[in-house]
Amino acid sequence: MPLLRLTSGSFGQLRTFATSSALGKRVKTFAVYRWNPDEPDKKPYTQNYQVDLDDCAPMVLDALLKIKNEMDPTLTFRRSCREGVCGSCAMNIDGVNTLACISHIDQNLSKPSKIYPLPHMYVVKDLVPDLTNFYNQYRSIEPWLQRDKEAVKGKETQLLQDVEDRAKLDGLYECVLCACCSTSCPSYWWNGDKYLGPAVLMQAYRWIIDSRDDATAKRLSKLKDTYSVYRCHTIMNCTRTCPKGLNPGRAIAQIKTLLSGIVKKQAPIMDPAGLDKQTAQN
Amino acid sequence: MAFSMFLRTSACRSSAFNQQMMCFATQSMAKERTIASTLPIKNLVIPRANSTPILNSVRSFRTSPPRLSAGKANDHSKLWVVEKITSAALIPLVPLGLLIPNKLFDSALAILITAHSFWGLEAIVVDYVRASIFGPVIPKIAIGLVYLVSIATLGGLFYLISHDIGLANTFRQLWAIKSDGNKA
Repeated sequence: MPLLRLTSGSFGQLRTFATSSALGKRVKTFAVYRWNPDEPDKKPYTQNYQVDLDDCAPMVLDALLKIKNEMDPTLTFRRSCREGVCGSCAMNIDGVNTLACISHIDQNLSKPSKIYPLPHMYVVKDLVPDLTNFYNQYRSIEPWLQRDKEAVKGKETQLLQDVEDRAKLDGLYECVLCACCSTSCPSYWWNGDKYLGPAVLMQAYRWIIDSRDDATAKRLSKLKDTYSVYRCHTIMNCTRTCPKGLNPGRAIAQIKTLLSGIVKKQAPIMDPAGLDKQTAQN
Repeated sequence: MAFSMFLRTSACRSSAFNQQMMCFATQSMAKERTIASTLPIKNLVIPRANSTPILNSVRSFRTSPPRLSAGKANDHSKLWVVEKITSAALIPLVPLGLLIPNKLFDSALAILITAHSFWGLEAIVVDYVRASIFGPVIPKIAIGLVYLVSIATLGGLFYLISHDIGLANTFRQLWAIKSDGNKA
């Protein structure tokens, strides 16, 4: 107990030392993209905000919240979970698409941090992009499990999946659909209306290789046109920018090999309807 | 949250005001398109006849998946395999053709190089010369030009092969000219 008191005391001292005015304020400039739909005559511009880093938590989202709470309540952006699991606060920070909540503030005070909305998207206001097209594309791949024989309501049984089959979904299911990868893809900038983009294609692949899913052929046949998948030129910006460290570029390549017929989807190791059959026998 | 707040407030206003506002928004968008890389709103403006007018600016919600690839059922998957095989075949064929000049290798090279460059140019035209930027006519002309250039290339290469010394020998001559110049 005395030891604890001692350590807490020293930590307290450390904190006062670190935040003391003797060191001088560490003021960082944030250049934030602003555009207000209610002032349509005004062109988009960047507004500078000065934030004292000693009085601010370490992430870019913390700085934005501080700006919104203390300096300018009109600053508009999306945020929710503040820990990188919801994908709301995706924006372009210092030229990189990432989640504001899990990217540290650049400690170099001489350069302003530039914060823009996701590139090449229509802007609703300030840092809020219009994701309607993105969500429509996601809906178009039917992102849910599809079985040939749908379970009877009230008589559903668990579907079986081997550990190995389940492992195939790792690196795919973690996607939070923040649209960082799609909006970093030049092909998506150019042909975003017809090309599905890395985020949606990775989710398409997630459902294609799911051992429990029966609609593989249907899913693949929907993707085989010139635009949906084949506008991917393996630029790999998607993999480079993904704030969750996933690899959409690889998933698209896998879709291409599956489409070509060179590689076939493996049969499930464990019969997904095994439990159902067992109960029918008993 | 902020987005839904924005939608809610605009839904509460009269639809006439909304349309007016959106009208302005599109105008500014058209002007700024060339300057700003991030584009102001346009999608919300698309009039939706089937939704109630007061909720015009709220995204209409459907549970059935939209068909985004409607009307383009062409199968690109086989062509993709051919493209990849062509690229892979060029790797051994280029040095082989240069080492052993003959009409067979030359003809194969001519066809593969033309096909390879055709698909490359076609991708560039599809990506950069888009109908959304250049209008409906220019992209078609550009694709036509790609076909024209490719046909001309193939014709030229085969002229070299059938009426002249062949592809590989032409390339070898580049070095021969240099050595002649050194001698003289």
